[in-house]
Amino acid sequence: MDHTLALYLAAVLGAVALALIMPGSRYRLSYLGLLLGVGALGVAWIGTGRAWWGEIGGGVGLAMPAYYYVFSTVALVSAVRVITHKVPVYSALWFVMVVVASAGLLVSLSAEFMAFAMLIIYGGAILVTYMFVIMLASQSSGEQPGELAADAKREIPDASHSSASALQSQYDRVAREPLWAIVAGFALLAVLLGVGFEDVPSSTTPEMAAQSREDLATLLPDRVLMNEPEVIAAQAESSDSQGAAAARPSSLGVTNGEAVGVDLFKGHPLAIELAGVILLVSLIGAVVIAKTRVTEEEQGGVREAGEGGATVDSPREAGPTDSETLGSLSTGRVGM
Amino acid sequence: MMDPISSLTFSHYFFTGAVLFVLGMIGFVTRRNLIVMFLCTEMMFQGVVVTLAAAARLHLHVTGQTFIIFVLTIAAAEAALALGLVVLLYRRKRTLDAEAWSEMSG
Repeated sequence: MDHTLALYLAAVLGAVALALIMPGSRYRLSYLGLLLGVGALGVAWIGTGRAWWGEIGGGVGLAMPAYYYVFSTVALVSAVRVITHKVPVYSALWFVMVVVASAGLLVSLSAEFMAFAMLIIYGGAILVTYMFVIMLASQSSGEQPGELAADAKREIPDASHSSASALQSQYDRVAREPLWAIVAGFALLAVLLGVGFEDVPSSTTPEMAAQSREDLATLLPDRVLMNEPEVIAAQAESSDSQGAAAARPSSLGVTNGEAVGVDLFKGHPLAIELAGVILLVSLIGAVVIAKTRVTEEEQGGVREAGEGGATVDSPREAGPTDSETLGSLSTGRVGM
Repeated sequence: MMDPISSLTFSHYFFTGAVLFVLGMIGFVTRRNLIVMFLCTEMMFQGVVVTLAAAARLHLHVTGQTFIIFVLTIAAAEAALALGLVVLLYRRKRTLDAEAWSEMSG
């Protein structure tokens, strides 16, 4: 079987599987969808056979393929659960699983620094922020604004209904236009993979690798690059542990963090400055957004939610022009 | 055709990165909860991160990993602003539904 045919078949199977698993889908056959999804993965990995190209790295020190398959399966299953779970908190938790699995994939690619940076920043900062926002924004998530009066009329609320609606809102239970989205998404995936399997040899590889070796040799002159062919060959030749330790001077090896640092500050200094500016802009923007007052008439008459502006500092009260500006920000329609 | 694959290739990781990206895209278009929509954009970033790391390993050049740092920076900045906006939008309509803002369309 031609490998592109296997890929397209896998894309079709995956599309059908995802359509069955989507929340609120008419068919309610999510286990069949799970089975089809696993089948799609199997067809993609086995059916393409020898068409995989781009051998990475030498023989010694390469991760076993089992690590890739396990981490990849966990990542893809968790990704499906992120987009199909009905409760937003669980979506965020499954996304933490995706981050952990992709950190494992990064470790198997010898990118240890990036793996741990990913875990710390995504799992430790960004996802915690998501959890806080979900917690802040879930006070009345079970009710639409028009249903508040109807709830007041109901004398004895049905226990199972209220507990279920407290967790799942109407807009979480049903996906919108899932079939078009799945068709478009998997058509894109089929094209991407079809292109990705055409073996186009890169002509710039030896020059780029030589340039990076030169940079490291000038900046860290006492170190030894661990992926040099001589080092790998010396490791392969020595069969006992002492010989391997002598052939691989790990105390002198360039670590992944050092290599990334050298390339970052030598090759991309302007990008570092721009990243700093972007972070500053985002910080100022977040503070401005948090301080915007939402007055009573926009709220539909519930209460004034001006908590964001009242806390921080006294120069706020001293300037009427500041509150006018922010008031126009909150009443203006063009800001959002 | 059915030979067992004895070593890893770039295409393996590109496959995983592409599927993560496309799943994030489908989730972004399909879900109506604002927070889950932004979570799916973060998942698109994850797909790109895996692909970048694999390309860095393919060419034995560490610039791919350097760009993961920049992707991480942009993702963090975008998450901060997006969540601030979501909280503000929630304060106005008391709902996280994206369809509640559909009166702006058309």
